[in-house]
Amino acid sequence: MPMLDIKNLTLEMHSSEGTIKALDKVNLTVSSGEIRALVGESGSGKSLIVSAICGALPSEWSLTADRMSWNGENLLGMSSQQRREVMRREIAVVFQDPQTSLDPSATLGEQLEESIPSEFVQGRWFWQRAQQRKKIAISTVHKVGIKHHKHYLSAYPHQIPSDIGQKFMIAMALVSQPTLLIADDPTRGMEPTTKTQILKLFTRLNQTRSLSILFVSHDLLAIASMSHTMTVLYAGQTVESGKMKHIKKRPLHPYTKALLDSAPSFRKDLSPKSHLPTIAGSIPTLQHLPIGCRLGPRCPRAQRACVQTPAVRRIHDHSYSCHYPLHMEKL
Amino acid sequence: MIRILARYSILFVLTLLVLAVMSFSLAYLFPGDVLENLTGIVPANDAQRMALERQFRLDQSYIVQFFYYLTNLFAGDWGYSFTSGIELRDEIGVALPATIELATYSMVVALVIGIPLGYYSGMRCYSTSDYIINTSSITTYSFPVFWLALLLILVFSLQLDKAPLSGRVSLLFNVEPVSGFILLDILLSDMQNKSLAFKDALSHLTLPTIAIGAVSTASMVRITRRSVIDARHQPYIAAAVSRGLSGWQIFFRHILRNALLPILPLMAIQITTLITNTMIVETLFSWPGIGNWLIQAIYQRDYPALRVGMLAVSTLVITLTITVDMFNRLIDPSREKYEHAAI
Ligand SMILES: Nc1ncnc2c1ncn2[C@@H]1O[C@H](COP(=O)(O)OP(=O)(O)O)[C@@H](O)[C@H]1O
Ligand code: SF4
Ligand SMILES: [Mg+2]
Repeated sequence: MPMLDIKNLTLEMHSSEGTIKALDKVNLTVSSGEIRALVGESGSGKSLIVSAICGALPSEWSLTADRMSWNGENLLGMSSQQRREVMRREIAVVFQDPQTSLDPSATLGEQLEESIPSEFVQGRWFWQRAQQRKKIAISTVHKVGIKHHKHYLSAYPHQIPSDIGQKFMIAMALVSQPTLLIADDPTRGMEPTTKTQILKLFTRLNQTRSLSILFVSHDLLAIASMSHTMTVLYAGQTVESGKMKHIKKRPLHPYTKALLDSAPSFRKDLSPKSHLPTIAGSIPTLQHLPIGCRLGPRCPRAQRACVQTPAVRRIHDHSYSCHYPLHMEKL
Repeated sequence: MIRILARYSILFVLTLLVLAVMSFSLAYLFPGDVLENLTGIVPANDAQRMALERQFRLDQSYIVQFFYYLTNLFAGDWGYSFTSGIELRDEIGVALPATIELATYSMVVALVIGIPLGYYSGMRCYSTSDYIINTSSITTYSFPVFWLALLLILVFSLQLDKAPLSGRVSLLFNVEPVSGFILLDILLSDMQNKSLAFKDALSHLTLPTIAIGAVSTASMVRITRRSVIDARHQPYIAAAVSRGLSGWQIFFRHILRNALLPILPLMAIQITTLITNTMIVETLFSWPGIGNWLIQAIYQRDYPALRVGMLAVSTLVITLTITVDMFNRLIDPSREKYEHAAI
């Protein structure tokens, strides 16, 4: 049984023009010990899924799901107290933008120390506990590769460079020793060496501590080698999900294929200086979503049936939603 | 730190200089004789006039005149009132503290009531209690302050006869001005019936304080509420929620301070309104403050008094505004980015 299991998650935003389905029947699972990649162009709703999981969405939006469970417990039906406990100890989140996710009026050290669960610190007197908190904080920032802990722990968020901010967000997530880490675009804008460092850290944590990771990114290259499974998102709909190696070898959904084709390193047959195949157009805005399959207007394989939303079909543990999938003609 | 202080001091001095130039030019702009406008002394004969003109450098260039005017200002030699013939410095020395006293009490009322109410309704936004607080603060805010004051006088002084109609303290008590604050002066004095005098002064204070304080409180509630709601919608609050912090932790560690920071600069803007309101309400309650005094000066065409009175009031406003702004700059770490001071 998967640890995090989300089925038909739908998020509706109410605006003056009517209701918009920002997420439409999204399916996502994360099993214990796996690294799952959640990919999609920017604007496809990845961050919204992350916020939905941690319950940080504005209450005026309506969130429904057939199932949204954490270790068998329904996340949506929990009391806020239970939900908070889950977020405090079991699930940790690295948000996309460190600069806005940190309180501008508190130092990094204060914010890191308040994330340390009180069970981790013993001591009769508060100064003993404060000292322990400090020690934990320092060792955690070292772990994510921040060297000058003295300088950075007493700095305010606006005083640090953004890659330190991102590493620091990771440190804040790891300090509570969670079982699931959700990382929303943690390597965005990092230079390659730092990026490799972070990816290595994630792989190591996954292997040594069997930390499950939901790795959200629009950068296929970064995650293709490290993740076990992948879910592809397009305009708020899950289009395909399955084992990384299956999808890489034989994508069933036209969008996944286009996504893979546009990453040169996945293609061995590419002659030098040839054009990269891409699909025309760009991701639709929420105000102008096409009906049926949201890829429809851009899809090279689209036919009349595509004005109906395709149902999820499944072959073993590989699922896709498309009326005319690739590689299936022979069947 | 030193840089900030230096920057604000320069701003302060320059603004005061501009004000001094304006008040000096008023002596020329007002109708009548420049010498009389500037000094408040009406010379008895030509010989005395010549002597005075020489003394005030009126026979020399404007620049020299202005610098002489500045030295006089610093020396505390502000001229004489046309009407009473008393030194203006002494008159303002009594009137200005009276105004500051009234404004201070109203500000205290606004802070003590307004900020907690604002936090409460901001944290409970769009609930019934929030609607009640918000509606009543908008209603109060929309009252013209003089109308509210008249209403209070009508109800509490004339109908119910609960509060005195005018003045600062009953004429029975002779309070020696030390600090200029009536309550403080009563406490400092050695009268026999201190507590009676104190009660009397309080009853005189209550209505004008309510009249001015109500409007300030209402705007304080609105500013605070908005700021709290804004702070609650920041991404770092969502991030803190997702770290599993409790509601109290989030309020005390993240909302409280971040909501307070934008309030301070808005308070600096409020100070101007507060002083203006105080000056208006003073005239209705015959409170012997600077507003009342200026109105009398206008009626009497007391040009020297107007000139110095305007300078005193604007100096007060500028001082308060710049001080609050500087304080705000010192405590807010993220404002390091904004290098330039602003009023
Ligand atoms: N607070 C919001 N109000 C309105 N629309 C939003 C809000 N946040 C995100 N969206 C919309 O939801 C869509 C998905 O956004 P997001 O989840 O941030 O995409 P991604 O993380 O995949 O780049 C975007 O079209 C965005 O415009
Ligand atoms: S359902 Fe139709 S439009 Fe959508 S991806 Fe498949 S073929 Fe293309
Ligand atoms: Mg995003």
